[in-house]
Amino acid sequence: MISAHGIGGARDLPISPELAIAGAVAALTVSFTVLAVAWRKPRYDEATSGRPAPGWLTGIVDARWWSVLWRVVGFLLFLYTAMVAVFGKDLLTNPLFGIFYVWWWVALVPLSLLFGRVWRAISPVRTINLLFARLSGGDPDTGLYRYPERLGHWPAAVGLYAFVWLELIYPHNSDLGPVRLWAAVYVALMLVGGVLFGNVFYERADPFEVYSSLVAKLSVWGRRDGALLLRSPLANLDTVPPRPGLGAVTSVLFGSTAFDSFKDSAHWLRFFQGSDFINEHGWAPNVVNNLALLGFCLAVGAIFSLGTVLTGVEPGFRRRSLPTLFAHSIVPIIVGYIIAHYLSYLLEAGEATLIKMSDPFSDGSNWFGTANWKVDYYFAYHPTLLADLKVLSVVLGHVVGVIAAHDRAIKLLPRRHQLTGQLPLLFAMVAFTIGGLWLLFSA
Amino acid sequence: MRKLRYFTAVIAVLVGVLTLTACGSDDSAASSSPQDTKTIDVKFEGGKVTPNGERVDVAVGQPVEFLVTADAPGEIHVHSDPEQQLEYEKGTTILKLDGFKTAGIIEVESHALEKTIVQLEVR
Repeated sequence: MISAHGIGGARDLPISPELAIAGAVAALTVSFTVLAVAWRKPRYDEATSGRPAPGWLTGIVDARWWSVLWRVVGFLLFLYTAMVAVFGKDLLTNPLFGIFYVWWWVALVPLSLLFGRVWRAISPVRTINLLFARLSGGDPDTGLYRYPERLGHWPAAVGLYAFVWLELIYPHNSDLGPVRLWAAVYVALMLVGGVLFGNVFYERADPFEVYSSLVAKLSVWGRRDGALLLRSPLANLDTVPPRPGLGAVTSVLFGSTAFDSFKDSAHWLRFFQGSDFINEHGWAPNVVNNLALLGFCLAVGAIFSLGTVLTGVEPGFRRRSLPTLFAHSIVPIIVGYIIAHYLSYLLEAGEATLIKMSDPFSDGSNWFGTANWKVDYYFAYHPTLLADLKVLSVVLGHVVGVIAAHDRAIKLLPRRHQLTGQLPLLFAMVAFTIGGLWLLFSA
Repeated sequence: MRKLRYFTAVIAVLVGVLTLTACGSDDSAASSSPQDTKTIDVKFEGGKVTPNGERVDVAVGQPVEFLVTADAPGEIHVHSDPEQQLEYEKGTTILKLDGFKTAGIIEVESHALEKTIVQLEVR
C-alpha cells in the first residue's frame, strides 16, 4: 500500500481511550447544555453583527499596495512551484510535493482561520485573470456569461474530490508527472472559467478559494458593503451564503479526512491486506479504495442531510433546502477535526518542505539558506500534549458547530419545532464528533 | 444572564476534559535501563508475508530485530525518519534496528509485495 503521507516518517500515536471518552462525554454534555440553556431568539444577523475595524487597520488592508503585495507574493510562489514542477527532478526531495500536499492543502486551513480569505488574496489564477482583463481593457469581475446560480459550489466540490482522490487513492501520487498534470489542469480550468464567468467563478467554483473562504468564516475578519469588520467567529460563520453544493463541499472535506484516518487504522489494514478476494483480483484494491472514499463522503452527506430534514417546518417551506441552510454549522466540526488530523504533520512536513525548497533541483544548492535546517519533531517528544490538543480541537469545533446550528434552527424552524427539530441534527453532530474521536483513538 | 450561564457551562466542561486528561495519561515511561531487544518473526513465502499489518508495541529506545525467513531475497522498508531499507537473503536473516528516539507509529513495508508487514507503535 502506498503511504499517503508519502513524504513523512512516523505517524502520530493513537489518543488514549480515557482521552477519547472524556472528549465524547464533553461533546455530549455541551450539546445538551446548549439545547437546554442557550438563547431562544436568533442572535446573529449579518446586517448588524460585528463592529468596524479600527481606522488604521482598514487603511492598510484597503490600500492598493496591500493587495498588490499579496498578489505578488502569491505569484512568486506560483512561479517557483511551476519551476520545480517543470524543471525539478522526479524525486521526493523535489519541494513540489510538499508545496502541493502540505502547504497548499493543509496550511491553507490555519492561515485562513487566522487571516481570512487567504487564497482569494494570493490566488495566481485570479492574478492572471486580472492581468488579462487589464491588457484587454475589460473588467476582471465579469466574463462572457453570467455564472449560473444553480451551479453554486458544485464545481468546487468536484475539484476538492479530485484533489483528495489524487492524495488518498491514486497509487502514483508521489510521482512528479501526475501531480504536475493535476496542477496544470487546475490552472487551465480556472483560467477558462475566469474568461467565461469573471471573478465570480473563483468565488464559487475554485476548490481552493471555496475551501479557504469557508474556513475564513471562522476567523474574526468580515466585510459588509465592502467595509472591514471584526466579528466573533460565530457571527461570522452565520454569514456563509447558503449556495447550492455547499453541503457537497463540506461532505467531501469531512468524508475524505475521515477516510484518510480510517485507511491507516489497524482494522482497515488487516481487512484490506488479509482479504483473499482483494489479494486475488488485481483490480480490487483500487476499486475498494475508491468505493471507500466515495462511501465516506456520501455517508457524511447522508447523515447530515437526514439530521437537518427530520423536523417540522412551516407550510410551504421547502424541506429540501434545509441541508444547505444548515451546512455552515458543520464547518467548525470539520476544521476542528482537520486540525487534529494534520497538526503534527503540518509542522513537520511543512518545515521539511521549507528545507527542500532551498534545493529546488535536488543538486545540493542552498538558495534560501534553509537547506541545513533540521525538522523539529516537537510533538514526537510530547505525545500527551499533542493528544490533548487534538481532543480539545475536536471538542471546540463541536461546541461552535452546535451553537451555530442552534441559532440557525431558531431562525428557520417554527416555534413549536424549535427544540425537537434540532435533535436529529444534534445527534448527527454528536455522531460525527464521536466518530472523529474514535478514528483518532484507533489511528 | 442566559449567555453567562451558558458560557460558564461550556468552560466548566472544557476544564473538566483537561483535568480528566491531565490525570489520565503521562509521558514518563522509564526508559533509562537497558532494554531487551524486541524480536519480530517475519516470513516470506510464495509472494505472501506474515504478519499481516499487526501492531507491535515498542518502547522508545528499545532495539528491534526482524528474524526473516524467506524463499527469495528481498528488502523491507522501515518508514522511520530517515527511512531505512534492510535487505534479506533467501533462508534466514536477522535484521537489526537501533532503538527509535521518538514516539509514533512506524510502518514496516515490503514494497515489492505492496504490503504493510507490521506497524511499530513506539511509545
